[in-house]
Amino acid sequence: MVEASQPAAYDPIRFEVIRNALLEIAEEMAITLRRSAYSTNIKTRADFSCAIFDADLRVIAQAFAQPNHLGSLTELVPRALTFYGAERLGPGDAILTNHPYLGGVHLNDITLISPVHLEGQLVGYVASLAHHVDVGGGAPASIGAFREVYQEGVIIPPVRLVKGGAFVDDVLRLVLAQVRAQQETPGDLRAQVAANTVGARRLNELLLRLGVDHVRHYIDLIIDYTDRRTRSALAQLPRGSFSAEGTLDNDGYGGPPVKLAARLLIDETGVLFDLTGSDPQRRAPVNSTYAQTFAACAYLLKCLISPDIPTNAGFYRHVRVLAPEGSVVNCVAPAPVVAGWETHMRLTDILLHALAPAMPEQIPAGTKGMICHAGFGGPRPNGSYYCFLETLAGGYGGRAGLDGPDAVQTHGQNTENAPVEETEANYPVRITHYALVDDSEGPGCWRGGLGLRRDYYFPDHAVTFTILADRDRNGPWGLFGGLPGRPAAYIRNPNGASHLLSSKSTVELSAGETISYRTCGGGGYGHPYDRDPQLVLADVRSGKVSNERARTIYGVSIDTQRWTIDLPATEQLRERLRSAPAVDPT
Amino acid sequence: MSYRLGIDIGGTFTDALLLDETSGTMRIAKVSSTPADPSIGFLEAARRILAEAGVAPAELRLVVHGTTVATNTIIEGKGAPTAFLTTEGFRDMLEIARQTRPALYDLRFTKPAPLVPRHLCYGIPERLDHRGALITPLNAEAVRAVGTELRSAGVAAIAVCFLHSYINPEHERQARDLLREVFPEAQIALSSEVAPEFREYLRASTTVINATVQPIAANYLRSIEVRLRALGVHAELLVMQSSGGVFSFASGCERPVFLIESGPAAGVTAAAYLGTVIGRQNLIAFDMGGTTAKVSLVLEGMPRVTKDFEVGAMAMPGSGRARGSGYPIRTPVIDLVEIGAGGGSIAWVDDGGVVRVGPRSAGADPGPACYGRGGTEPTVTDANLLLGRLSPDRFLGGEIILDVDAARTAIQERCATPLGIDPITAAHAIVEIANSAMIAALRLVTVQRGFDPRDMDLVAFGGAGPLHAGRLATEIGCRSLVIPFSPGTTSALGLLATDLRHDYATTMLCRLATADPMAVAGAFARMEAEGLATLAGEGVHGEATRAIRQLDLRYVGQSHELTLTLGEEEKLLDGATGARLAERFHREHERIYGTSAPHEAVELVSLRLSMVGQITRPQLRTIPSGPTDPAAALRTHRPVFFAEHGGYGDCPIYDRYRLQSGMTIAGPAIVEELDSTSVIHPHQRATIDRYGMLHVQVVGLASPA
Repeated sequence: MVEASQPAAYDPIRFEVIRNALLEIAEEMAITLRRSAYSTNIKTRADFSCAIFDADLRVIAQAFAQPNHLGSLTELVPRALTFYGAERLGPGDAILTNHPYLGGVHLNDITLISPVHLEGQLVGYVASLAHHVDVGGGAPASIGAFREVYQEGVIIPPVRLVKGGAFVDDVLRLVLAQVRAQQETPGDLRAQVAANTVGARRLNELLLRLGVDHVRHYIDLIIDYTDRRTRSALAQLPRGSFSAEGTLDNDGYGGPPVKLAARLLIDETGVLFDLTGSDPQRRAPVNSTYAQTFAACAYLLKCLISPDIPTNAGFYRHVRVLAPEGSVVNCVAPAPVVAGWETHMRLTDILLHALAPAMPEQIPAGTKGMICHAGFGGPRPNGSYYCFLETLAGGYGGRAGLDGPDAVQTHGQNTENAPVEETEANYPVRITHYALVDDSEGPGCWRGGLGLRRDYYFPDHAVTFTILADRDRNGPWGLFGGLPGRPAAYIRNPNGASHLLSSKSTVELSAGETISYRTCGGGGYGHPYDRDPQLVLADVRSGKVSNERARTIYGVSIDTQRWTIDLPATEQLRERLRSAPAVDPT
Repeated sequence: MSYRLGIDIGGTFTDALLLDETSGTMRIAKVSSTPADPSIGFLEAARRILAEAGVAPAELRLVVHGTTVATNTIIEGKGAPTAFLTTEGFRDMLEIARQTRPALYDLRFTKPAPLVPRHLCYGIPERLDHRGALITPLNAEAVRAVGTELRSAGVAAIAVCFLHSYINPEHERQARDLLREVFPEAQIALSSEVAPEFREYLRASTTVINATVQPIAANYLRSIEVRLRALGVHAELLVMQSSGGVFSFASGCERPVFLIESGPAAGVTAAAYLGTVIGRQNLIAFDMGGTTAKVSLVLEGMPRVTKDFEVGAMAMPGSGRARGSGYPIRTPVIDLVEIGAGGGSIAWVDDGGVVRVGPRSAGADPGPACYGRGGTEPTVTDANLLLGRLSPDRFLGGEIILDVDAARTAIQERCATPLGIDPITAAHAIVEIANSAMIAALRLVTVQRGFDPRDMDLVAFGGAGPLHAGRLATEIGCRSLVIPFSPGTTSALGLLATDLRHDYATTMLCRLATADPMAVAGAFARMEAEGLATLAGEGVHGEATRAIRQLDLRYVGQSHELTLTLGEEEKLLDGATGARLAERFHREHERIYGTSAPHEAVELVSLRLSMVGQITRPQLRTIPSGPTDPAAALRTHRPVFFAEHGGYGDCPIYDRYRLQSGMTIAGPAIVEELDSTSVIHPHQRATIDRYGMLHVQVVGLASPA
């Protein structure tokens, strides 16, 4: 219902036209960025986002394929503009920044912000953020375990990169001199400029056509509308205080597991995310900036409300986060931040875990819950430097009535894989395995998804390889009697003198060596001995679950000659399991 | 006498369109579709229209079929039992797909189940590198062993996709020979033949779909052929492809993956044809029916195609499809944006107090509230009726008498009261909100793809298209709006007005500047020879054939290609041509993305060749010419709502069948015919051409809604 305070000048048609037009502009920016980008991470894996702000710095429309960009720009853009001085920017200018301690996230995510002017008057801003494959620092792809943010790469405070439509060459050269990806970075920055140019042009056209004041009035209405719908959706949630704790397995420097504590307080005012009790920040890469933590909370809220509620300032005002300064969920300089996304991912999983008892029908068991980076590079056999980055999928958690899907990205992350053929054509690496990991599922009435295996073999040159991931000690948890998924493993030379690597490590490989990732399976939901034997049979038939495991964990006896279930034997096995449930052998 | 017959099978109805090749007269028949065996409906429709027209089966020269058999086979999971062979270490390629989720915020999402169950996926020891050089030879014993196992497992089809086979198909061919030794009955599809382009998952998915659909599609097409022949039909039998071209039933049996969007392709093909009739090359095709609106492009006379399509993908709220919710194919498919906004789309007020339209539809039953069949929710049709744009007693030629009061009540109760506005304002809001979604779709296919609507004409058809197109044309600023005669049958006309077409592609990754002209010429020549041979099999030779050659280019390091069409003189890719193409590529990149990098190297990715065999175009019926003044066609006046007039005004209503060539109608006006209603807005003027088409132009400043 429209509230009584609704201003008289409300035309439902105009409302919809302006709302669609703003979204369309953000989408057009995204399409431009993706299609004209150079690095695999942006063009194929869509690791970027675009946003439009009004002159008051309220976000009014956004486009992204990765929900972990929720809130990234909304935190950064106002702070960067304040820092730089918005009044110093003229038409055709743009500022560049990746500063983690000025509202940013990790250094690879570089943002370009352009003011939009109409007849000399400042009317808004457009911004694009993209994950660049390399920003310098201690290892190719700028990922790795370091002690300070200064080791992680070039820190760019808000600086003017574009003036009157042309690159400021001094700044561009200074930035480019710090990075390894000499081929991709200039092209990717150009793509960001292209996206902002298109966005500014379109916003300008819209304002010119409909009038600045008129559009501003409807932006107010659109934000109010979003606020109203978000508020009414949150009012449907179960009230109470819901807590959970969890850890990152390791911080990269041998410290104790990194504790994350989450409490969701849901009452008539909405949802408050209280992260008090999370560990103090580390001299290790696992620190999340406030913006990264905020994005995890924003993602969770988005999952709990209708997907067609717009994402603008009217939504973001409901993301209320208490994250103690100086903690791993709101770090301060000079803490390193490159694995802050790992913390962000685990935090999302823990927030869901907290809600599971209150919302058992909606919440999945533990998921991959990590970004799981693979980054490598160095001089090619022909001497030119190259740099590669990708992230790997894993198992999703089981849900009430649904198995967890195998090998998918989870939560804020939805990046695509790089095709093997394209990777091999562009980089001197050979992918020798890309497959599901059998028996890695967290057993349950509704089982978790399988993790995956990907092997990188370097036939003819030495290379620096970095693993930045987690979950190699504790697999994703089960729910309501479900068992955890198999933990991940990061293996050097799986076929020879193999040994396990830490989930956060950089190694120098010689020609002929291989790194093998085995990502974790998702957690199970409900007791495995309650799983429909037909589903167990199907899993054994497909090879996803071994017959041995079917017997000992699911209590199902299968005739693998005829693919039938021995029902009396199954009943007996299950009777035994009910009195003494199996423990996951992994 | 000679005739063409088009048969288009939809979910509810099977349409038959009979065209008299000499007079250009058309006749339509509709029968109920028979989903269990669509060929029954096909035959029934054919028999009925021939009987009604008094035409003998032997008088048919051409039969063209638009079919959903391939899509339905996938969506309904009825493909033939299929196995998948790939390189060892990669048997889970179909399971992993792109490792993404189709829905970002849905904690209960699912991934589409692979089309081949995992126990029928095999990794075979063999390996090539990215240049096609041998790393590990094919293990012949392993292939034979798998073939033997599959034979006893009751598999009908085998899809083979080895890594880097797009550049070196040798291992795949060897595998086929080995499989045939031990399992001669199996249908075998090689990725290097079905879709020889790099990116293994996309190639594998295309190959698997071809393999699993093939036995079903072949059966279907052959059974139609047998029955048509038994009926005495000697005509050439053709089937519509997803690209908008047609090919023979025999080609359809071989390459059914090209039939996936056979049904929806006809509409844009019709628009392209109408464009050639009126001398327009660049068009936006707008087809609005009961449940959805579809928008697509015709560029330089050819329907625009995309290579980024998923079979069975879920519609997203708004427009488009959720990536990763279906099965990708890499064969050319009409680039079509479909949104849930049709005449039957339901209007509602959401929990934020805003009017929304669709995507739910009242369908045919109960249908809009005004049908009086028990529908209580207001639809776009109800809103148009209340605004006076539809006539209560002339809808669908008077088949249904529309109930204005029922429409008003539905709009009042569901929209106006909750918003505290009057039903007329609400009705106008419903129409305009539906329009705003369609405008977004129109901008998506034009501006967002780098095409300027000011250089294009909008062709509107489908029962509801001409009702809405006037507003859309003004809003997007296209050059003119064209409304063909009998818009409800335009789509079917597309079946009868297109060319034979065969599409081929070869991946050749190298710098454009250093591409080997001989290798390029050789690849084009191979594709052309294959196309010519196939066309010859379809009875088309010499002058009537034409090759369209294209290159997929990008900057070294990018991974989205732009496709350039080569001129005849650019066939030989020597240094000078290469430099000229690079120039064109920079300009095209600048046009689409607003940026280019002329100092950077351009990479050649794929060569594409479309072999086109021309079929004589049908002649459209012409109408007599008359005076400029349309008074002779005036039927009546009634009050119609226009925002420009701030409400209802007395509006002339014209009878389309009495319009004569040369007449000019000044807006506001309504033009009614049996299957559609056209709205001419204030500040617009429509002129009638010799084919009875309305050409609508903006003649003054139209204020936006």
